[in-house]
Amino acid sequence: MFELLEHTADIGFRVRAASAAELFARAAEALSALAFELEDVQERQPCELSAEGWDWESLMVNWLSEVLFLLDARRLILKRFQVNQISPRNLSAQAWGEPWNPERHRAKLLIKGVTYHQLVVEQRPDGWFAQVIVDI
Amino acid sequence: MHIEALDRYRFRIPRDERRGMRTDVVIYASKELIEQISKDQSLEQAMNVATLPGIVGVSLAMPDIHQGYGFPIGGVAATDLEEGVVSPGGVGFDINCGVRLVRTNLSEKDVRPRLREVVNQLFRDIPCGTGSEGPIRLSNQQLDEVLIEGARWAVRHGYGSERDAEFAEEGGCLPGADPSKVSSKAKERGRPQLGTVGSGNHFLEVQWVEQIHDEQAARVMGLELGQIAVLIHCGSRGLGHQVCTDYLAEMGAAMKRYQITLPDRQLACVPVRSPEGQAYLAAMRASANFAWANRQVILHFLRGSLEKLFGPDVRAELIYDVAHNIAKEEVHQVGGEKRRVLVHRKGATRAFPPGHRDIPAAYRAIGQPVLIPGSMGTASWVLVGTERAMQETFGSVCHGAGRLMSRTAARKGRNAREVQEKLEQQGILVRAETRDGILEEVPEAYKNVDEVIEVVHAAGLARKVARLRPMAVIKG
Repeated sequence: MFELLEHTADIGFRVRAASAAELFARAAEALSALAFELEDVQERQPCELSAEGWDWESLMVNWLSEVLFLLDARRLILKRFQVNQISPRNLSAQAWGEPWNPERHRAKLLIKGVTYHQLVVEQRPDGWFAQVIVDI
Repeated sequence: MHIEALDRYRFRIPRDERRGMRTDVVIYASKELIEQISKDQSLEQAMNVATLPGIVGVSLAMPDIHQGYGFPIGGVAATDLEEGVVSPGGVGFDINCGVRLVRTNLSEKDVRPRLREVVNQLFRDIPCGTGSEGPIRLSNQQLDEVLIEGARWAVRHGYGSERDAEFAEEGGCLPGADPSKVSSKAKERGRPQLGTVGSGNHFLEVQWVEQIHDEQAARVMGLELGQIAVLIHCGSRGLGHQVCTDYLAEMGAAMKRYQITLPDRQLACVPVRSPEGQAYLAAMRASANFAWANRQVILHFLRGSLEKLFGPDVRAELIYDVAHNIAKEEVHQVGGEKRRVLVHRKGATRAFPPGHRDIPAAYRAIGQPVLIPGSMGTASWVLVGTERAMQETFGSVCHGAGRLMSRTAARKGRNAREVQEKLEQQGILVRAETRDGILEEVPEAYKNVDEVIEVVHAAGLARKVARLRPMAVIKG
């Protein structure tokens, strides 16, 4: 669903989608998949999410930072995302996952933050594209 | 890119190399290292740093420099307090990531036969890994106290001695921290994480002193051949990560107001004297204090483990604790006059010279201890700061070996079990929470730490004191 990006100290991903809503949902899934083995995660707990920005790039960073906050602070692993409303200034979404259970869920990477470094979020002739690098 | 050799260990990219650069980039490296460094984007990033408004002196690159985001890792830049900017990207997500070195009264002979027992005990007692939580439950009030007092809070609550706080950079507590500038999200993220190592390249390592290069300095630090020491590497955990995230978002929006344009958005910055700049610095100092308290609590857990293993007579004394991701107001000689500047050290270590008033009295004759961790299969170094570092690098040197390989490249074609076995054959036991934690930190993923140290030593920025070899590593 996403392409892993090589970077000396950090790690990143690229996602493509037909719409902005789908792009942001795919990016959030990619972030979760970097942090956890998602196979073992059940979609039993729904969650409402929102984010704000002042352009597509800042919206992406703030959105993924929100997913990361839920993961690190609330210990909630979200596996599937659906973005219901989106503009460059805000988005609202639903997501499904479950609370982290160290007995069942395998952690992969501790992600510290989402960076603006080499960040791309744009609409191209063949669809929407994003490239994100996270600090690990 | 035009890189001039100034001498054997100094290279320069002049400011006219690219439009917008306000100053030169000076790189400390050997001929071999500069070739490696030129392969990634770290020098472009050091050139981006040279465009920061109000940069004082040159944009500095240490021999362990590698590509980061915004600032390169291994970069140092000072900015003017009145005309200059502060950049959260110049500190990084892991605010006050740093290392502390602890000497013990054990020798290699005491520990080697019981190494597996030692590593298992440490792994049980010291929380490591993604999402690890510590046993300390902080109320809102207590967390605010930690953010103000740093290591001193830990000492006041029985996690160590007065001496511990004294033997840390800034006494383990940066003044000017304001918990009200730390978001509730950051506090929620960090609250359960006090006394945890975390993941990634963070670790706790049992080492033995293999070489002494400066007898006098080693004696002052209480280091001798064959002695066991423990190196703790970690930072401000989720609290600092969230503070960086919060202020990057705020500054990105504020930059337009201050009419600052930059070649990389991750360099986001605002004037030091602006309300946003002051708020970030107050929150960054609070995060730095959380990190010092964190490393202090881990030292306390370590003492508990060692007592369980070796009885009540075992001693574990802090040699020193250094930050390597931080921005601090310091006084430096610039162009013949003394100036207060904001020194950003991103993957760089303070290295103050003998006689400096900001280092503990016990070390004033030898200079500040500089602690440089290598990779888990090679070695770590202890050095001391010099006057030359004060003159040339705002009293700064490198912070580690420096990564060569991406984490995915490090994982490729390797098996965690085999890596562990190979290290075991070299006398190094590793216990990690995840297999990836071992693979991504394989020694081959890093530059040769000895080569990096040789550069800072030969360039006169710091002097070698001792080389320590790892025996046991626990990590996330």
